[in-house]
Amino acid sequence: MRDHLTVDGLTVRDTARPGAPLLDGVALDVAPGEFVALVGGSGSGKTMTAMSVLGLLPQGLAVSGGSIRLGETELTTAGHAELDRIRGGRIGMLFQQPKRMFNPNRRIGRHLREPLKLHAGLRGTAAQRKAIELLAEVGFEDPAAGARSFPHQLSGGMAQRAMAALALAGRPDFLLADEPTSALDKVLERQILQLLDQERRDRGLGILYITHNLASVAAFADRVLVMEQGRLVESGPTREVLAQPKSPYTRSLLEASILQPHGTSSARNGVHAEPEAALSLRGVSKSFAPRRKARAAVDGVSLELRKGEILGVLGQSGSGKSTLARLVLGLERADAGTVAIAGTGTAHTASMCRAVQLVFQEPYDSFDPRMTLRSSLEAPLRQSPLSNEEREGRIRAAVVEVGLDPALLDHRPRQCSGGQLQRATIARALLLEPQVLICDEATSALDALTQRTILDLLRRLQRERGLSLVMITHDMDVVRYMCQRVAVMYQGSLVELADTGTFFSAPQHEHSRALVEASIPCKGLHLGRLVSAAD
Amino acid sequence: MLKFIARRTATLVAAVLLSSFAVFLIPYVTPGDPVRKIIRSRVAGDVVDESVVQSLGQSLGLQDALFVQYLRWLGSFFSGDMGLSYVSRTPVVEQVMPALGVTVSLVTVALGAAVLASLPLGTAAALRQGRRTDRWITAVTQSFIAMPEYWLAPMLVLLFALKLAVLPSAGWNDASSVVLPAATLALRPASYFTAAVRSGMIDALSAEHVFAARARGLGRTRTVLDHVIPNGLLPLATLLAVWFAGLLGGSVIVEVIFAVPGMGRLLYDAVVNSDIPLAQGGVVVVVALAVGITTLADFVHRLLSPKAGAALV
Repeated sequence: MRDHLTVDGLTVRDTARPGAPLLDGVALDVAPGEFVALVGGSGSGKTMTAMSVLGLLPQGLAVSGGSIRLGETELTTAGHAELDRIRGGRIGMLFQQPKRMFNPNRRIGRHLREPLKLHAGLRGTAAQRKAIELLAEVGFEDPAAGARSFPHQLSGGMAQRAMAALALAGRPDFLLADEPTSALDKVLERQILQLLDQERRDRGLGILYITHNLASVAAFADRVLVMEQGRLVESGPTREVLAQPKSPYTRSLLEASILQPHGTSSARNGVHAEPEAALSLRGVSKSFAPRRKARAAVDGVSLELRKGEILGVLGQSGSGKSTLARLVLGLERADAGTVAIAGTGTAHTASMCRAVQLVFQEPYDSFDPRMTLRSSLEAPLRQSPLSNEEREGRIRAAVVEVGLDPALLDHRPRQCSGGQLQRATIARALLLEPQVLICDEATSALDALTQRTILDLLRRLQRERGLSLVMITHDMDVVRYMCQRVAVMYQGSLVELADTGTFFSAPQHEHSRALVEASIPCKGLHLGRLVSAAD
Repeated sequence: MLKFIARRTATLVAAVLLSSFAVFLIPYVTPGDPVRKIIRSRVAGDVVDESVVQSLGQSLGLQDALFVQYLRWLGSFFSGDMGLSYVSRTPVVEQVMPALGVTVSLVTVALGAAVLASLPLGTAAALRQGRRTDRWITAVTQSFIAMPEYWLAPMLVLLFALKLAVLPSAGWNDASSVVLPAATLALRPASYFTAAVRSGMIDALSAEHVFAARARGLGRTRTVLDHVIPNGLLPLATLLAVWFAGLLGGSVIVEVIFAVPGMGRLLYDAVVNSDIPLAQGGVVVVVALAVGITTLADFVHRLLSPKAGAALV
């Protein structure tokens, strides 16, 4: 019998802070060839579990109880040399941000030669040949060029493939995959999952797949473990857990990850879009750098956003979504065409800048880490003739409106959660009383539960304030949940503009069909069916 | 990369041309008759007669347009003819080149020592970040930044040359005479380098790819040697080039105090004696070398850190 990876009663504590342990009695078992999903919100201890298995907990944290076994080998007491052989050689790991996990100054090939030397004893040209072979296996079309490239030259999807090649180079028996696809769009996510699944079937790789999105792995996982605040609250075969979630936490995770049932009905019925345009683009084009081969980042896009409408803008990374947003905000000048906002004309005046506000993707990057939230929120009001009391009043009102405790205003970004900061970003945008709010992947960095609450907040604001929203996203479920119409960007052009219902039932453009298809088996219908069967 | 090299080389040439033009203008913008000043830098004997001045000016082309004169001056300059020193009445090039050699060796020794000191200090501080070792190293090295050379130099002379009598107090004779000037010169760069090594190492240690390397089974020591130190030292490489370029002409105080016949000393004397040709030669050589070194450092940095390099262009 081949070895299992077994964790039993694992307890991890912060040695500086006595009190509740960070991980409390975690127990799990991964058999060879098994795909186990470990699901939970951010801070639930999923990543810490993986770090404990590899014996790489950050300084100050220590395993204070329980055992981690690989076959007969006890990992919690293993020596350095033994652990180094196991890391990468018997247990590999994949990460959420592959690009940050490569040494920026080394070529991909050189990265790959490292585990090949450590775990397979290959050196020199033999190692280089094997490295190219591995890249070909994970789907590099030109693996030799891939080996020569530096990490920053790869796209997000290719970087994750290269990371997979790197993690599998030592031919480990088990793979810890820590949210490897959360930053990727649905098409890429599916490709990576298929790649891992292939390894599992071909040579019995055991996979522990960590994710905050239960639905994304539903089609692949044999079993699901649910974690909340350092404890396992539920475990069982995927079908059972999805159909009959026992703990309320699992239920709320599930609900959050299937946005679809609410989407098409309530979002569309609850709102009566007025035909008047809040924002209109006419033949807007923009290209960067006079590079010869470069095509326009945005190419002749004409689009109208109706008052009180939620418009989804879909497209893969590099399709021009974000450039479009920057053009609307006046952060970039269009080479051709006009951007007009109701009541302010086409010139990029101050009133126009106020009328359109942006909600960013990375909550921690959109605040100055040294400033309190209050100072950050005051910044946009500094130009206005308000008295100090009025300004404070406005800030408090905005903070309350987005459902934050005003006491948080004295905190600095690092003391807040991602969800809280994203609310604060929205409050900051609201202070200038905009007509249009552009959300650029505003919920992509959040876990499923938090994402849901932020989406609901945006919908409430749209209802109560009559805001028009542009949701730039690669997440089909967000579109389904929020939007009345969908615009699809592909290589800088607008290739489809349709009502959400029509879009999902009959996508016209080839690229739209790929997007819709990729979203179905992972989430949507597949899971929807499982859940409705349970009801 | 080729485009990058082309662009940087163009910048280099432009910087040398621009600064040399400013240097070329010195005889024209300083008080006195430019024609006489230029003749004095070209003709060994004394010229008093006005008619001789006229004809010499004619034959030297001093009636030509300024720009033509500049090109002629530049041409002769880079073919090794920098004119005659007013004071010594010998060719400037014969004074500039030995002085350059002296300064380059002095600065090389000083910066070498600074690097050797800052590597262990900065690394130790980074590894014990925020603890007592780090606080001491940081406090002491930072205090060196505020220590002026004209104070430090006499102190070192007092201790090592007079009290202990182990090192010469001035001059440039054998290897021992380089020690005190180099030590004086090394102190401030050493404190900047220590700070750079410390912060570079802290960044490199906390980089996520270091964790990833450990997760692939690379041992702790190998990870530090392969991934932390090379990446952590990158900032030092750039800083080193900047200091080297800066000290070529910036070691004046030390060279004057220790009577080192280097570039700083030469420029100091040239200015004090209003020796225009000598000052011109010294400044252009120093500028050309300094710009060349920083450009070279840019190339090296780009090679070692392709991502940062890509952002530069």
